[in-house]
Amino acid sequence: MKTLFQKVPRFVLILVALTAFGLARGPFEDRLAGDLADANLLLPPPAQDAMQQMGQSALMGTLGGLRTLVSSFLTLKAFDHFSYKQWEELRQTYAIVCNLEPRDENHWRDVVWHIGINATADMQNNTSLPEFERNRRFNQYALQAVELAEQGLEHLPDSVIIRMQLAEVYREKLRDNGETARVYGEVMNLPGAPPFARRFHGYFLARTPGKEQEAYGYLMGLYREGEHQHLPTLIKEIKNLEEKLAVPGPQRIPDRDPDRPASRPPRSSGSTLPGGIVVP
Amino acid sequence: MSEDTTTDSERSLRAPAREVPSFSPGRIWTIAISTLTQLIRMKTFYFLLAFALLLLAVGNFNFASSPAQALSTLKKVSFGAMDLFAWLFAIVATALLIPRDIEDRTLYTILSKPVRRVEYLIGKLCGVLIVVAISLVVMFVVCSAMITWQELGYIAEEYEAREMRDPGEFRARVELIEKAGFRAELALAAYASFLKAAVVAAVTILLSTFASSSLFTIIISVLVFLIGHAHSMATNFWLNESDNSLVVQMLLKVLKIIIPNFQLFSFSDGIVQGEPISSLIIWQMTGLTGAYLFVFLLISLLAFVDKEF
Repeated sequence: MKTLFQKVPRFVLILVALTAFGLARGPFEDRLAGDLADANLLLPPPAQDAMQQMGQSALMGTLGGLRTLVSSFLTLKAFDHFSYKQWEELRQTYAIVCNLEPRDENHWRDVVWHIGINATADMQNNTSLPEFERNRRFNQYALQAVELAEQGLEHLPDSVIIRMQLAEVYREKLRDNGETARVYGEVMNLPGAPPFARRFHGYFLARTPGKEQEAYGYLMGLYREGEHQHLPTLIKEIKNLEEKLAVPGPQRIPDRDPDRPASRPPRSSGSTLPGGIVVP
Repeated sequence: MSEDTTTDSERSLRAPAREVPSFSPGRIWTIAISTLTQLIRMKTFYFLLAFALLLLAVGNFNFASSPAQALSTLKKVSFGAMDLFAWLFAIVATALLIPRDIEDRTLYTILSKPVRRVEYLIGKLCGVLIVVAISLVVMFVVCSAMITWQELGYIAEEYEAREMRDPGEFRARVELIEKAGFRAELALAAYASFLKAAVVAAVTILLSTFASSSLFTIIISVLVFLIGHAHSMATNFWLNESDNSLVVQMLLKVLKIIIPNFQLFSFSDGIVQGEPISSLIIWQMTGLTGAYLFVFLLISLLAFVDKEF
């Protein structure tokens, strides 16, 4: 045995040992990689188009295990594009960032915010472009933001913050009350949802044509929960719906319409100075 | 009756030599501690200063759209840098040790004593791992302090603006900040970086047993690390690019067998992003690292056992 050990070149022995270990660990590593991927601890490989779009250094960094550092660097680069209002470059940079870290909801929220809110606002204010082009780009950016949010939700189906950002795009830019209500409706059933999402769902449902009856029932349900829900906006929305749906008087809520001035106090016999000081 | 006139020293010289144990953890510990001292004298811990500066810079960048985003970026950059420093340090420190011992002729002094070559290799590796562990602990403490400080600052800002917000919204915002802030599980991310650095050090020690220079060892080790890391990520890409060529398939299989899969050890990314990790996975990864260390030390011994210096 000792002679064999001395006769066989050491290099061959090393290769044999490495191969034997490689073959032995292979199945275990494959199973472990599967477990890690299932637990979302290993990031999936970046899509091929993202790898092709990356610069050489970013690609090397990503392949070399510096994925999080590369994505942080690209986020900084995207911020630079935002500063110079380079929306197309910003979108492309975020496409790589989101591909590198698809399970980081902050990236998805940020790209939806940049494209859906900032880029569209820039199109509303940018007087250097003709109006038809501004309108075209406004719609294009708003729809791109919706698409990006949907892509993000494919990776993170329970994300509250992506939905909140999507709702803002529908609410502020596309002025689509039905879709806004739908998104807030999804948010309110998720863990970690802000409490106002429940009210917002009702408010935007109330403004959706054909959904008034449903909205009235929903908002009345909130109203009946107690004093803590008797907020001026909720009361105002219910009052509006009572008018629209011609709800009979006894069924209406007793609260005063917050937008209507309170009935005047009875005039006193003395004259009143500014500040309510009564001079006898 | 003759009188015994031999002195004590003569008696000890004539006495049979004390049996030297074939394997001694004490000797390994001595070599590990001397390696630690050697690395400290090489002023290796100065890179911690660079790490602290990097954290300060990232902590003061004001580009994030929300506090949660700022904390998330800080965590990712600091743990990414921690990971990078750990494996790079493991490669450079391990690659320098054996050639330096040969150059200084320390190796001859050590091996002329009753020290087995396997003990020398284990001792050197343990020394490097102790330095990597100390560095990671210091980096983790600095990083945790920075994240906690930022987190408390953001929460304090939320409390200041509390009156302007709905109580529910205030709670949701604070919860979001706390979720993105410091969590005890982040220590497991640092542990993951340690496991990766340990395997890298084992590979480097194997290369340095037959390499002719430190530079060669460093370059080849970095190359092995990059291939081991990119392999699983780039497999589909290469196969697609080459139209599933048989040659590429064979090459990928050979690489998979010979080179460690470093991508597996990148599970710290998921922990930093807030994914929960089971203790079973931690144990499995620890076991795999142990297997890598054992096998690579054994293979290193094959090359080192009768090497002439």
